[in-house]
Amino acid sequence: MKIPKDEILKPNHLACPGCGAALAMRLALKALGRKTVIVIPACCWTVINGPWGKNYAGVPVFHTAFETTAAVAAGIKASLEMQGKDDITVVGWAGDGGTFDIGLQALSGAAERNDDIIYVCYDNEAYMNTGIQRSSATPIGAETTTTPAPMLKNRPKKDLMELVAAHSVPYIASATVAYPVDLIKKFEKAKSKKGFKLIHILTPCPPGHKFPEDKTIEISKLAVETGIFPLYEIEDGRYKLNKKPKFTGIEEYLKLQGRFRNISEKEMEVIKENIKERWRRLEIKFEYFN
Amino acid sequence: MKSLVLGGNDAVAYAVKQSYVDVVSAYPITPQTSIVEKIASFIAAGEINTRFIRVESEHSAMAAAMGASAAGSRVFTATSSQGLLLMHEVLHWAAGAGLPIVMANANRAVAPPWSIWAEQTDSLSQRDTGWIQLYASNSQEVYDLVFISFKLAEEVKNPVMICLDSFLLTHTKEPVAVFEGEIDGFIKEKKWKALLDVDNPEAFGALAFPKDYMPIKIQQFERMKKATAVFEKIANEFKNFSNRQHSVIEEYGDENAEVVLITMGSLAETSQLAIDKLKEEGIKAKLVKIKMFRPFPKDELKESLKNAKNVIVFDRNVSMGKGGIVKDELVGALGLSNCIGIVCGLGGYDVDEDDLVKATKDVLSGKIKEDTFLWGEK
Repeated sequence: MKIPKDEILKPNHLACPGCGAALAMRLALKALGRKTVIVIPACCWTVINGPWGKNYAGVPVFHTAFETTAAVAAGIKASLEMQGKDDITVVGWAGDGGTFDIGLQALSGAAERNDDIIYVCYDNEAYMNTGIQRSSATPIGAETTTTPAPMLKNRPKKDLMELVAAHSVPYIASATVAYPVDLIKKFEKAKSKKGFKLIHILTPCPPGHKFPEDKTIEISKLAVETGIFPLYEIEDGRYKLNKKPKFTGIEEYLKLQGRFRNISEKEMEVIKENIKERWRRLEIKFEYFN
Repeated sequence: MKSLVLGGNDAVAYAVKQSYVDVVSAYPITPQTSIVEKIASFIAAGEINTRFIRVESEHSAMAAAMGASAAGSRVFTATSSQGLLLMHEVLHWAAGAGLPIVMANANRAVAPPWSIWAEQTDSLSQRDTGWIQLYASNSQEVYDLVFISFKLAEEVKNPVMICLDSFLLTHTKEPVAVFEGEIDGFIKEKKWKALLDVDNPEAFGALAFPKDYMPIKIQQFERMKKATAVFEKIANEFKNFSNRQHSVIEEYGDENAEVVLITMGSLAETSQLAIDKLKEEGIKAKLVKIKMFRPFPKDELKESLKNAKNVIVFDRNVSMGKGGIVKDELVGALGLSNCIGIVCGLGGYDVDEDDLVKATKDVLSGKIKEDTFLWGEK
């Protein structure tokens, strides 16, 4: 597969160096093309896209209130359809805070109605735009400004994919910026399907996860290889694994990121147990619902 | 034109049906419910070409309305009380973005304690959200204001809220003159284009630094202020189709009145009866009904009150620790020293013309000297 050459995202956007979320948008837009409208709530992308008068995304962007991404996108799509503009893809582009937490109700509403939009959660696993506070996407053992050591995040990450799967929508996929071809294919598939689509992208954050800015891809790759972030699709209820993990390198993944520097051996065991338990459940689905 | 017996909610739905609305996004709440039910039934029967987004909350109702409007559609929604309060944040977004959404609000008291009956504290607590606010006194006004509101919203590029008192107006039926095809000439043409255009990709609502934020807000303020004159212009155009005149404020009674009663909504109808009774008793009184509350019709009110010896504002709403909201606004705008505010009818408590007559006489006789509640003498 060839990665589309058209660079829609402009190079002078305001992301931090090594930002996974900027790279995710660049790849997503390559797949979606210029007939795309994006809705952005309060999140890092509010800043990345540039201040008043700028629009680095290169497609129309509607900035909106934190919890309204899915509802605004649904309204835009309905409006375009009423005008016969059926060839425009409407994308809600929200962080994990605006998706897992405050935006979950509107997300559920749009998924239940099967509104014809692509909802993208670029997940940097905390409220990065306000200074690294925990969200319900923050993994167990992570240090944030609201879970400073020794009271690290002590609950597992909410499972967004399965939560949305419970709405019986046509397409759900996970992706990371370490696998660009896989990511682009998933956006192309999402674009080709009618109804509600969710793409959950892990986007490592150098200042928030505390790693050097040239390690974004390495960390994204390790997240998949360790089994911490499974790459899979749920297409019309059928589960498909895209990349089989090696289930090694967990310590390396955690060690590369300053946010995990204070975990104890006991917490390390809990993390490993959580990975195993999640995969036990997932493998049943890959086997029986494929 | 034909005459139908309609409640206020029916009148809203009927006017929406005739207004070439592309998208309705709504969540049900008592007593607004029958507006959106009726619109849904029109869609189901194939009588209108409108998309209905059945959202999961009022917050999403306004968010979806905002998206639909930004993408170029004519958009309507309706709500009431707690639902309006849930929308509060998104009301600011819609107005700040300059989107011509029209919304009907069934004025209902706010909990606790639970109450489903008439009171205007819900919409008046949204007075600073940047929405144009209109208050109707009867079903005919409700019906007419829907058409005027779409035109006004699109011309000023600002959302409009039409307020109607719950049950007293939403569910009480009366004859309403409704249009047939003739209203097309007034309402069919849409003066609104999509902000979101893939051929001209711009970002809306981005982060503005202080040097940009303030001029943008001043622009928004000027846009709103313009709405008073634009309303009068559109209302005059509307008169050609209906022979009915609407104004930002309306008067009833004696031009040289010694006492002026001021109110909004259905209480204005009761006040008219009170004016007639006062006249029978030899008291020269007039009613000034505020139809447009935002932008506040300061100049019009100043002119109307220039010879008034006594002004009494009857407020079916209350700002805790202050008093009636309309009274406060009026005094704030005109600096009146001869104005008494009387808060009445909260939570749908019955107020009749005799109550208003008695209160007026008590003010004139000096028995009521300061702002008060109308309560406890029945």
